[in-house]
Parts: sequence; C-alpha cells; structure tokens
Amino acid sequence: MYRYAKLKNRVTRTLGIDAAEVESDPFVAELVDALSPDRVKQDGAHRALLSHDASVFDGGNSGPVVFPETTEEVAAVTRAAATHGRNVVPRGAGTGLAGGAIPLGVPVVVAVTRMNEIHEIDTDNGIAWVGPGVVNLDLTKHLAPIGYHFAPDPSSQQVCTIGGNVANNSGGPHCLAYGVTNAHIVAMEVVLPSGDVVMLGGLDAEPAGYDLRGAFVGSEGTLGITTKIAVRITKNRPEVRTLLLSFESVTDAANTVSGIIAAGIVPAALEVMDQRITVAVENYVNAGYPRDAAAVLLAEVDGLADGVDLDADRIAEIGRANGATAVKLAGSDTERALLWKGRKTAFGAIAQLAPDYYLHDTVVPRSKLAEVLTKTYEIADRYDLTIMNVFHAGDGNLHPLILFDARDEGVLEKVHAAGGEIITASLDAGGVLSGEHGIGVEKQKFMDRMFSSDDLDHQNRLRQAFDPGCRTNPGKVIPTGHSCADIQSLRSVPKEVWA
Amino acid sequence: MDLKLGSDDLNTCVQCGLCLPHCPTYRVTGDETMSPRGRIKLMREVQLHDAPVTDEVVDAFASCVQCRGCEPACPSGVPYGHLMEQTRETLADSGQMTPVWLRAAMKPLAQPKLLAAGTAALGVAKKVGLVPDRLGLGAADIPLRQEPLPTTGTDVYLFTGCVMDTMQRDVHRAGLDVLTAAGFGVTPTGAEAPCCGALQAHAGLTDETRGLAEKMMRSLAPERPIIVDSAGCGAAMKEYGHLLGTEEARAFSGRVFDIQEFLADHVDKLPEVAPLDLRVAVQDPCHLRHVQRVHEATRVVLQPFVRELVELDDDGLCCGAGGAYSVLQPELAGQIRDRKLGSIDRATPDVVASANPGCSLHLGAAGVDTIHPMELVARALSAAM
Ligand SMILES: Cc1cc2nc3c(=O)[nH]c(=O)nc-3n(C[C@H](O)[C@H](O)[C@H](O)COP(=O)(O)OP(=O)(O)OC[C@H]3O[C@@H](n4cnc5c(N)ncnc54)[C@H](O)[C@@H]3O)c2cc1C
Ligand code: SF4
Ligand code: SF4
Repeated sequence: MYRYAKLKNRVTRTLGIDAAEVESDPFVAELVDALSPDRVKQDGAHRALLSHDASVFDGGNSGPVVFPETTEEVAAVTRAAATHGRNVVPRGAGTGLAGGAIPLGVPVVVAVTRMNEIHEIDTDNGIAWVGPGVVNLDLTKHLAPIGYHFAPDPSSQQVCTIGGNVANNSGGPHCLAYGVTNAHIVAMEVVLPSGDVVMLGGLDAEPAGYDLRGAFVGSEGTLGITTKIAVRITKNRPEVRTLLLSFESVTDAANTVSGIIAAGIVPAALEVMDQRITVAVENYVNAGYPRDAAAVLLAEVDGLADGVDLDADRIAEIGRANGATAVKLAGSDTERALLWKGRKTAFGAIAQLAPDYYLHDTVVPRSKLAEVLTKTYEIADRYDLTIMNVFHAGDGNLHPLILFDARDEGVLEKVHAAGGEIITASLDAGGVLSGEHGIGVEKQKFMDRMFSSDDLDHQNRLRQAFDPGCRTNPGKVIPTGHSCADIQSLRSVPKEVWA
Repeated sequence: MDLKLGSDDLNTCVQCGLCLPHCPTYRVTGDETMSPRGRIKLMREVQLHDAPVTDEVVDAFASCVQCRGCEPACPSGVPYGHLMEQTRETLADSGQMTPVWLRAAMKPLAQPKLLAAGTAALGVAKKVGLVPDRLGLGAADIPLRQEPLPTTGTDVYLFTGCVMDTMQRDVHRAGLDVLTAAGFGVTPTGAEAPCCGALQAHAGLTDETRGLAEKMMRSLAPERPIIVDSAGCGAAMKEYGHLLGTEEARAFSGRVFDIQEFLADHVDKLPEVAPLDLRVAVQDPCHLRHVQRVHEATRVVLQPFVRELVELDDDGLCCGAGGAYSVLQPELAGQIRDRKLGSIDRATPDVVASANPGCSLHLGAAGVDTIHPMELVARALSAAM
C-alpha cells in the first residue's frame, strides 16, 4: 500500500500524460517506425503500470513502452536509444522481487513478453531454442509429451519468463539437485547496448574463448537484452517420491535437512515452511498440510524405483530421529501436485495475513540454518513485527518475510531496520546476500558488506565493457559510488522528459 | 474518483503476478494493462489517488472478459469479479463506460417475446446473408421456430432463461430428458423467470440486475432446487446472495445448481447404456470453472456416456466469448479464440462439449463442432431406447 501513497503525485501525473505532448518526440517517432504504432505505448496507463514489478520498491519512472517481436526490432529500439542518448530497460513478466525491471531514468521499457516462441527442440543435443518471453512452465508443459522438462523451477514458474530467469539466474525448489538457471543455459543471442547482435556461449561442450555466457547469466538486464536462448532440457526421472514431514519446531526441521544431506542423500528438493505460512497456504490449496505443526518439510527424491523408495525411507527415519511428529508420503500425482502448488504459491497467499510483505533472500551455510532462523524470529520480536520463514532448505536459501500494513504510520522504517539486521545476521554466519532473486535496487545498499571496494569497481568495469554509455538498466546492482550511473539523478524525473 | 470499491478488497492484491498467465487478454497481448494485476492497480490509482480516468484506463477495464480466470489463480483470494463489476457500475453511472446503445441492446433480453421475435428475425436475416460475420454469429444455427417444453413434475425447476430459451431450446430439452431419466419431475421456468441478469451485471448495470433477481426470487416457489444448464446464468444466480445481501437471496442462491453439478450426485440413477462412439474434448465455460468451480462434475456425468474424454491443455483459459464480449471486442475475442482453437486442435476430438451457449456460439462461429454435455448424454440415452 505505501508505495501508492508515496508515489501518489508521480503516478497520478504519469497517468494523466497527454499523448499529444509526447507525439512530437523524435525518439518515439523512430520507435514507431521500427515497430508499429500499436506496439509502442506512451500513454500514462502503460507507463504507470510498467514502473513496477512484484517487489516493494516504490516505483520508477517509465518512458515509452515497446513490445518487440523479433531480434531485429529489439536491435532497432536499442540503436534508436543509443542515437538519442536514452536509457533502456528489458522486462519479462515483472515478477522480480528485487526491483530489477523497475525503470530508472525514464528509459524505454522493452517488454519481451511477445517474443514467446519455442523455436526448436533438439533432443539429440538435449537443448531447446526459445524466445526470451517464453513462460518457464509453458516450456516444461510443451516438453512433457516427449518426457523432458526445463529444470529451473522458480515458484513463479507459471508466469515468469526464461529471459527473466537468465537475467536473475533464478533458482527453484528442484535446483537443489539440478543446479540453478546458469547450469541450464547453453548459448544466447544478445542485443548489446550498441545495437549489435552477438552470440554468447555455444553448443560445443567447451566453447573457445572467455565464457561471456556465464557473465551474462545473472546480469539483471545490465549487459544487454537476450533475444534467443538455448536452454538445456532435462529428461524426466521415472519415479518420484514426495514426503511431507511435520515438526514441533523450525529447528527440528532445519536439523533434519542437515541430517539428510550429511547422510549423503541428494534429494531433488527440500523445502521448509513455518506454521504461519503453512496455514495461509493450506487455506488456499487444501492439500492436507497440517495447520498445527510449527514447521513442515517437503522432501522429494527422484530416480529409479528401488533407489527412491530406499531414500524415502531413510529421509523418514532421519526426520523421526529429529523429532518429526508425522511423516506422510504423497499417494498420487494429484496429491503431489497439490502439495507443490501450495509451496509455490506461498508468497502470493500472504495477503490473507497482511497487505504487504518485505521478502529477503539470503543464503547461509546449512550447518547454521537453525541458528540464523532463531535469530530472525528474535529480531522480528524486538521490532514488534511478524515474520515468517519459507525456504529452500537444501541449499540454505532463506526467505524470511516480514509482514506489515503500510498504512500503519512509521512501520516502514521498522521493516527496513529489521531487514538490515536479518541480512547482517546471515552475512555474519558466513552467508551471502542473494540466493536467487537478484540485487536489483533492493539489495544494492548491502553490496559493500559482501564485496570490497575493488571488487565492486571491477564489476562495474565488466559492465562498462558491455555498456560503455551506462544506459542499459542503469542504476541497478552496483551501488552508488561504484556505479557508472548517477543513481541519485536517475531516481528523480528529469524536467525535459515528460512528467 | 471514488469507484466505490472496498478498500480491503483493493488492498488484498500483493501484485505478485501469479494470475497473469490465467488471463486471456494478457496471454494474447503480453501487455500489463490488459492483465488482472494491472487492472487492479489502475483501480487503486483511480480510487485512492484520484488518477484521471483516461481513454486508456477505460480501455483496460473494457477489455476485461470478466471470465474470472484470475480468481482461482490468486492465492490471496482477491475478489476480482466483484471489483470489476463495481468499477463498471460506477463508471457506467458516471457515463464514462458502456455506451448507451449497449444498454438499449440489452433491454429485449428481459422480455422473452421481443427476443423471440428478434432471434427469429436474426435467423431469417442470417439465412439470406444479412448478418455481418463480425457479429460472430456466422456459422451458428439460429432456430427459426420453437416448440414449448413440457412439465414432467415438480421435483426441480429447469431454468430456461432468455437467450438460451430461444436460441438453444434443444439444450433445455436434453437437460429435461436427462433429469427425467434420473427420476426427477421437472418444471421449466419459462416466462416465470425471464432473465438472470448476467449480461446486465457484466455491463455494470447493477440496478437492472437487482430488479431481475428480485423478480425471479418472487416467482419461483421456495425449497425446490433450481437447475441451470447455462454456466453464465447459473453463476449469476449463485451470486444473488452477494448482490442483494439478504438472507432470502442467500437462501435462493443456495438452491441453484448447475445441471452437471446436480447430476454428478445422481449418476447412479441414470440407466447404464452403450456409450456414444465419440472422442469428446471438454471445454469448461469460465463461469462453470472459475466462478462456480464445479467443472469436474461435467466429467463425472459425461464419462459413462462417451467412448473417450480428453482434456484441453490450456488450464481452462477463456475462449473469448464472454457474454457480449465477442461483439464488443471482436479483435481480442478473435485472438483469444485462436488460442483455444490451437488447444482444441491438439486434443483431436470428434466434438467439443461446452456447457454454455455463449461459448458454443463463439466456437461454433469458428467452425468448431460444439455440443452441450446434456445433449450428448440425452443422445446416448435415447439411442438405447
Ligand atoms: C510469487 C513469487 C515467487 C517467486 N519465486 C522465486 C523462486 O522460487 N526463485 C527465484 O529465483 N525467484 C523467484 N521469484 C522472483 C522472480 O519470479 C524471478 O526472479 C524471475 O526469474 C523473474 O522473471 P520475470 O520474467 O518476471 O522478469 P522481470 O521481473 O520482468 O525482470 C527481472 C530482471 O530480468 C531482466 N530481464 C528480463 N528480460 C530480459 C531479457 N530478455 N534480457 C535481459 N534482461 C532481461 C530485467 O531487466 C530485470 O532486471 C518469485 C517471484 C514471485 C512473485
Ligand atoms: S490478483 Fe492475486 S495473483 Fe494477481 S497479482 Fe494480485 S495478489 Fe497476485
Ligand atoms: S476476469 Fe478474465 S480477462 Fe478479466 S482480468 Fe481476470 S482473467 Fe483477465
């Protein structure tokens, strides 16, 4: 809610933008020439809506919005922006949680949602060529009849785009066994900020030269726009077992996770939810999640029948040894799907509890899970805030969520202060700043706690090698003082450009 | 301006975007202004921050099919359908939405005689090639002549409504036959209950809808279940409780059943017959799947009577019919339908079963062989006799 209050003037002004006012802009005219009038939007409604993603960051300021359909069109938009000295921000489905797609500096927003073609499935090489706007789950569904899937499965997979997954190097529950997005990207066609089109990576197992593909994955839209992606496709495992374990404390659940990994089992997924979030989820899905358990662990193993049964038994045993009060095996595919639907809609289910949430995304060593979790609850208590934990336990990726109602006076300061302490607690335990959601604009201010000043300067140099003008998704990832962009001025709306 | 939306309802949306892929207009445009998340945000801007209601804002609202595919997809339980209906009502009242001609066009719906004359005229006009195909009525069969439905008893009502009554009397007859075969005596509502008000409600003409709801509640005897064979009408009638907010209206809504929903509990009472030799794809009307959420019943009832049932692979995405939508937004409706046609093609059915007249007309106009599930069941039953 608060983002609306804060933004009131800016958005309201944006919504009221008079089309005639901007029609005379030669940059817009060039965009219309390059695409078509119906795919260049400059009205207030479009610009206001595309100033947001799924994060709580209080909005940016969008220039014209374009919906290209081909690589050539993206290149033409990028060249026009270069000629006119304008900024460019790529955007997928806008589900980012770190504000990556939020436009700063009145850029042209390049929404690649219409580049959603699955170009080619090549089972010989185990890859698929897809457009950046292809929805993650759509690819998996498309592959189902031939017995394959796309392994990275962020909880937002039903809506987020593969271009967005690449840019954020997204993870998901099943990335524990299969690796995050980076492990599944083979090659990419990229439109550089100059408008040149290059291919990064390649289908050879050991491509010659620098691994620029690796640099691009996780670059959060700051190195250019990917327009075509070769992703690895993964064969479906013949058998899957999904277990739901209930515990009397979050610590017991965390210890079970450590126990499973220590026993040498490599589960496909290990997810923990605490009681508050489990109840909200159960209200929505009715999957049979216990409402009275302090924490639940969703564990999945896949492979050959004998192996998975053995692993499932061992997981149940380790759970019981760590105080599990109930262990349930999903009896059917429907039941299994419902359990996962619950886990994957957890963030969305939160509005049942409070209208706003602030989500963190730190990673801590598995051995410190229980300790850091206890600290997060302590911190929240001290600030008189409600906190919930839902996390990819297998790789120590915590998602503490602070609930609040932004209409409450002064609550935001508390939320940010508590968030800062949580991050500090994770870093102190030897953790890192972002597991999978990216840095965007939200975690920027914490970058210098992880990296030295030299580290950050060199990251910025890499960025400038791709984007010397500092115009592609400016003001993201690299913090003030190290960034080539003037973040302060990006966040204000320059007088000469509309609004 | 004040759209008169409840502020808690508005605030329930956390802008997560999980609803986006379930929205037909977002699916075909990839455009946030054509998405549930975007529309909710525009409502907020207008109501909470007095943002101007520009043409683009009106477009964003007007392009919504009101299929409510976004509702079951939303883990936060945002009551999107009510938000959109209220928004349209307020904007219609202030003259910013719903052109006058549309209101006029809806008048005859509440007057069966006028409509009967209208559809008969339309039928003739179509035969002689007078109806522009833009209306999407091209391939549909518009009946030229009607025969009244018999009353077979007083166990249940069969709601015959307005559009359905004249354009799809065969469906009512099939429903009546199947209910009778299951041992229920049926009273067709006929002129007793001329119109459910669904189209009026979608257009934001809430006063008209309330009037129709009250009229219907007065004329149908209490206690008796009311069986509805049009998903859109059933959904509207199940909402009377919310619409009127009275105990009486809630009780009324409580005895409204979709015909498949009702029969799913009584399949065992239907005779066992040889199934029709058909591969049937089930197309769930949005108002059955997303609003009433009883679409599984269609499968339960249909399964014993056909050789093979197949699911479409689009998770129940809307077909673009949406009441008057296909007439008001022909371009988007066409694009949305194209997606559905792709999905139907992949399922390779002999025939598509759809429990809503609007969907059947809309898909039929694109050359898809559609039939109401009850007609299939009735056909299987009568073949055995
Ligand atoms: C309910 C919910 C659950 C989530 N769960 C997870 C989870 O389990 N794991 C996880 O990792 N994330 C999760 N996320 C975060 C988010 O969904 C992912 O980061 C996702 O990959 C973003 O994809 P998008 O298409 O929405 O991208 P956007 O939000 O539109 O953009 C994200 C970033 O990618 C850049 N970008 C987009 N397209 C391109 C392109 N073609 N070329 C270059 N840059 C581009 C943008 O500039 C931006 O910086 C979740 C989000 C929500 C709302
Ligand atoms: S309507 Fe529901 S699913 Fe859609 S963005 Fe809002 S909270 Fe998320
Ligand atoms: S009702 Fe249908 S068209 Fe309207 S926003 Fe929801 S899903 Fe989209």
